[in-house]
Parts: sequence; structure tokens; C-alpha cells
Amino acid sequence: MRIQKIGVVGCGTVAQGIALNIAHAKLEVIMYDETENWLKEGLAGIELTIDNEISRWGLTPADKKAIMSRISTTMKMRDLKDVQILIEAKGRSLEEKAKIFMDMEAICHDTTIFMTNTTTIGVTDIQKQLMFPERIIGLHFILPVHKSIIVEVIKGIHTTEDVVKTTKFLMDTLGKKSIEVYEYPGFVTTRIIMPMINTAAHVLLEGLASAEDIDRAINLGYNITQGPLAMADEMGIDVALTYLDSIYKQLGDPSYRPCPLFRKMVREGRLGVKSGQGFFKYDKMKRRIQNS
Amino acid sequence: MKVLTLNCGSSTVKYKLIDTESQVNIATGKVERIGMIGASLELKVPDGRKVLREVEILDHVMAINAILKILAEPKVGVLKDLDEIDAVGHRVVHGGETFSGSVLITDRVVQTLKDNIQLAPLHNPPNIQGIEAAMALLDVPMVGVFDTAFHSTIPEHSFIYPIPYQLYKKYAIRRYGFHGTSHRFVSQRACEMNGHDCKNRTMITIHLGNGASMAAIRNGKSVDTSMGFTPLEGLVMGTRCGDIDPAIILHIMRQEKLSLHEADNLLNKFSGILGISGRSSDMRDIEELYFAGDKQAHLVINIYAYRIKKYIGSYFAVLNGVDYIVFTAGIGENSPLIREKSLEGLDHLGILLDKKKNDEVVGQEAVISAKDSATKVLVVPTNEELVIALDTADIVSRLKK
Repeated sequence: MRIQKIGVVGCGTVAQGIALNIAHAKLEVIMYDETENWLKEGLAGIELTIDNEISRWGLTPADKKAIMSRISTTMKMRDLKDVQILIEAKGRSLEEKAKIFMDMEAICHDTTIFMTNTTTIGVTDIQKQLMFPERIIGLHFILPVHKSIIVEVIKGIHTTEDVVKTTKFLMDTLGKKSIEVYEYPGFVTTRIIMPMINTAAHVLLEGLASAEDIDRAINLGYNITQGPLAMADEMGIDVALTYLDSIYKQLGDPSYRPCPLFRKMVREGRLGVKSGQGFFKYDKMKRRIQNS
Repeated sequence: MKVLTLNCGSSTVKYKLIDTESQVNIATGKVERIGMIGASLELKVPDGRKVLREVEILDHVMAINAILKILAEPKVGVLKDLDEIDAVGHRVVHGGETFSGSVLITDRVVQTLKDNIQLAPLHNPPNIQGIEAAMALLDVPMVGVFDTAFHSTIPEHSFIYPIPYQLYKKYAIRRYGFHGTSHRFVSQRACEMNGHDCKNRTMITIHLGNGASMAAIRNGKSVDTSMGFTPLEGLVMGTRCGDIDPAIILHIMRQEKLSLHEADNLLNKFSGILGISGRSSDMRDIEELYFAGDKQAHLVINIYAYRIKKYIGSYFAVLNGVDYIVFTAGIGENSPLIREKSLEGLDHLGILLDKKKNDEVVGQEAVISAKDSATKVLVVPTNEELVIALDTADIVSRLKK
């Protein structure tokens, strides 16, 4: 299959990363979302990420021009009718995701492959509500999407092998290594990393050490490039809380019971990198302010 | 013989159709944006006619097919029939240690190229795609001409790096050198211009394009060159740093927490002329600023020319005297300023420039040294496609015999 044009539903942090990754791989991408303002913010977010990359030599100004020229936006779902692959990274609940795909089924060709970015929502649950359930597959990207080279590929019960093959081919094209995982709350990456992030928040709450030192201990002690609290900031404190809540509800394992600090931070609007403050502080370019 | 030369990049194919007997270009052109929306096909013929079309081209097979079609298209083409193409010559960036000259392409050669991909992960895959695509479309002999081949005569003491020897054995890490086709062409042409062959002659060839390299040549054979395991080593280039202390990059990676990709980009895409000037990678822009009195442009030009001068000195020692110094490629052919600055103060080595002549020569063959200069300095425009076409014709005609 020759892939040329991909649709992305949503324009939040993950969707921005996916669109950037696709355009950088020299494929055309069209982003859909409901309001002009969101789309504008989405494009501005992509530009900001690229500018950050340029400032640290990851991309060149010529790359920026080429990447931005391959990304278009729309507020009309119909404009996605001819894409070969549709990646959804918008719905926050099963209902929202199912609704998006049901709408897209009415618009797209029968051969369009549907992919949903999911961390805790089951692919099979979405499949139950679709006319052609065999063409949908789950993806779990790690933030920052354009830099992380791992993607978890989640087959629903009806997903065909052909769809799995095309998905792996696309991930190769995007420069990513895919690992196939079974449908289970949190899959591999989130399931393993969330207890560490949760414990780090508990350690901070209990006053054992400063946020800076907790992260430094894990970062340098175990050669993990990012400390758990910086990881939570990157993920979004609200998102981390949703993951913990969801996995805790599904598995009943107390190591996923969210540390109260997360709820407090969400109440205060300290959502991590995206709000400028989480466990650490960030500037307008989304760069960490040292000693924050 | 009519030879089609192909230079395949990841999303471009540049081509030239050459009559090797008369050494005349019949047509040139390129396909751009392969696999992307808005791909284009271009054809140019020497009388100035130019065709530019937007076409759907998804891969190298479609690209080469489009080139063949337009070459034989009744109204705009230059061939009555595709049968008129006698052979195809492919530019291949990296021949590794396997290929010391141009070769007839067979399935085995293609396999060897595939085995060598890790040496040139960016360049060789599209070269191979182009070869396979051309083989699928044309039933004529094909020849591979390697950028590295001319430097295969470099002696061991020059190509082995002083790092653990096992790395050479394990990963073939050594100096390969690039721009070989250009160094070979201009060195031979310099001898022809002076009415003799290359035997018993020593010369330094200086290829100054966006990428830049120098070669020390004795008896027509390369004995040293400034590019190394990759095209990053040696001279200051448009966006590449050339020689630096390797510890610098380790230090920057630590300080700035750079990934391998970012460090690679820093050295290959953000350094050189662009890195120092902060404004442009194009020497023409820098020269304009230089003549307007810009301080940073002066620094760029001084660093750039000083590096060339240092290599001239070291190759003088390597060769124990030099008969010719040859400038070629974009900057080498067109920049009297860079030529003058690079050769400034080398009178003790017997290099004296004719300043007036140097200033006059832009993009043409000429001798630019003073009459009493012990080393002759020449400008020779390069023509890599002609070398590819002539090598191809040579191998194919021997095949027919």
C-alpha cells in the first residue's frame, strides 16, 4: 500500500505530535477539529514544537517550511473522506471515540483504515458500535510523540491481520518501532510507568525530598532520561490522573490509586507543561525553567 | 553511444542524456517530490527549450518511467524511440571497500550494494531503488559509478584512523573519501589542458561546492583526500563543519543533552558557513556581505580559506611538491576571492597567482597562476555526468567486443 494522505481527528498535544510526525515523514496530513480557534492553536503548537527543535538543532528552517506545507486543517469532517488512514486522537471517553468513528464510517471509503490513539479505552469496545469493525486498530503513542520511537499497537478482537500489517508499515514509515500488545488496561508502557509516577507524587507529598531531587535520583540513579515528575508534567497532570483513575477502576490494584496531589494540582490548574506549571515551571516556549 | 545518466536521491532523480562520441548533452532534467503531492518532471534541451510538468509520481519506477516517456515524446522529446538509449550510468555514492572502479551492474552487484547500506544509510538506498527501477524498465546494460572509487588507491597509512583497529575490522571504519568522480575528471582534464597525461605529475584538486573536499593526486591516482568515513570531515562546507576536535561534540551533547539525531544535525546541517555566519550557507551571499564590509562575513571567508590553505600545505608535504593546483565546482569555479585567499602567502611553496587573470576567470577553464609560478594553478569546471557516461560507454563497448 502506498500511503500518501492521512487524516488526524483532534488537534491537542498528541494529535499535534502525530501530525508533525506524519508531515516530517513526507506524507500529507489533514487535521480536523470542531472550532477554528482549536485548529489555530493546534497549528501554533506544532510550529512551537518545530521552533524548539530548530533551537536545539533537531530540525532546520527548511524542514519547518516543508513540514508545515504538508499539514492542512479543516472544520468539515467531509474533507477527510478521501484519506487512506484516519488517526483519531480526540475522544476522551468510549462514547466520544465511538461517535467520531460512527460519523467517519458514513463519510470515508470502506477501505479507509481507522486508528485510535488510546491508553485505557478498549478497541473492541469501539468495534462493537461500528459497521466495519475489522478495520479499526488501536495505537498508543508516547509523549512527545514526534520524538518517542515506540508505539504500542493494539488489535481489537475483530481487527484483521492486513490492518495490523499496514499499521506496522505506517509506523515504520514514521520512524517508529511498533510492539503488538493485547488489550488490557494501560497496555505495557502506561501500566508500568504510572505506579512509578504515582509513587513519586506520594514521596513528594510525604516530604521525603524535593521534586527536583526525586527526579534527579531516578534520572541519574537508574539512567532513565526523564524523572517521573517531569514525565507527569509532559503527560499532563489531568491526563495522568485520568490514566490512574481508569486503571485503578479496571484492575483494582492500589498502586494505581491516584495520589491526592494530582487532584489538588488539577483543581489549581497546574496541569504540567501545557499550563506552564506542574511539578516544575515552564516558559512560553514550553521549556523547563531551571530551579523551578 | 547514447548514455542516460541517473542520479537518484530519496525524493529526486536527476538525469542527463549524453552522446559519448561527441560528448554533447542531448537533454537534462529532473523529477522532484517523488511520492509527494505536487511531484514535478522537468526536461531541458540545449537549444533552451524547457518543459515543466506536475505529475503523479509515487516511486522511483514511476519517476524513471516518466523520464523515459518524455525523452521519447513526439513533440517535446529528443528520441524517436527508447531503443536509441544504449546504456544507463548510475551515480552511486558509496562503493565501500568492494568497488574500486565503475562496474557493470549485475544482481550480485546490487546485492553487494545492499550489504553496504549501513555505510551510507541516506544515499545508497535511493541509489539502489533507482538502479532496480531502471533495470525493470530498460533492457540495456547498466553501469554503477561510485563517488568513493577514485580514492580506493589511498594507502593504508592514510585511510586507517588511529582508533582501536578492531573497529575497522568490525564496521569498516576508515577514510573512503567522496567527490571521486569530480576529482578524477578535473585532474585528467588539467593534464589534457597542459598537453600530457597524468604520469609523473602531482596535483591537488580542490572541489568547492556546497560540499567541499580536496585530493592529493600522484600519477593520476588519489593518495589522500580530506573527506573521510563520511562527507563530514575536512574542509569547511555550506552547512557541515569539516575537521573539529571530536571531543567538542561529546561536550556539547553532555551540556545540551542532545540526542544522536540532534548532534548529527548540528554538525551536518547547522555548521560550516551557515553556522559561523548565522545567515546563509551560500558563499555568494557571504561574499556580498564581505564586500559590504561585514565583519562576520570576513571571519567566514578567513576560516574557509585558511582551512583550504592548511590542506594545501599538508598535501604539499604528502606529495613532496605539486605541479598543479586545480579549483573546481560552484565556489572553486566562480569565486576569485576564495581562490586568492586560499593561495595567499604561499610564495615560499612556489605558488604565485596572476591576480588579474584570477579575477577574470569565472566558470571557465583557465590557468590563473603567474608565469613564474612553480606550481600551475588552474580552474577546471567539473562534469561528473560526463565521467559517468564515458565510463558506462567504455564498459559497455568492451562488453560488446
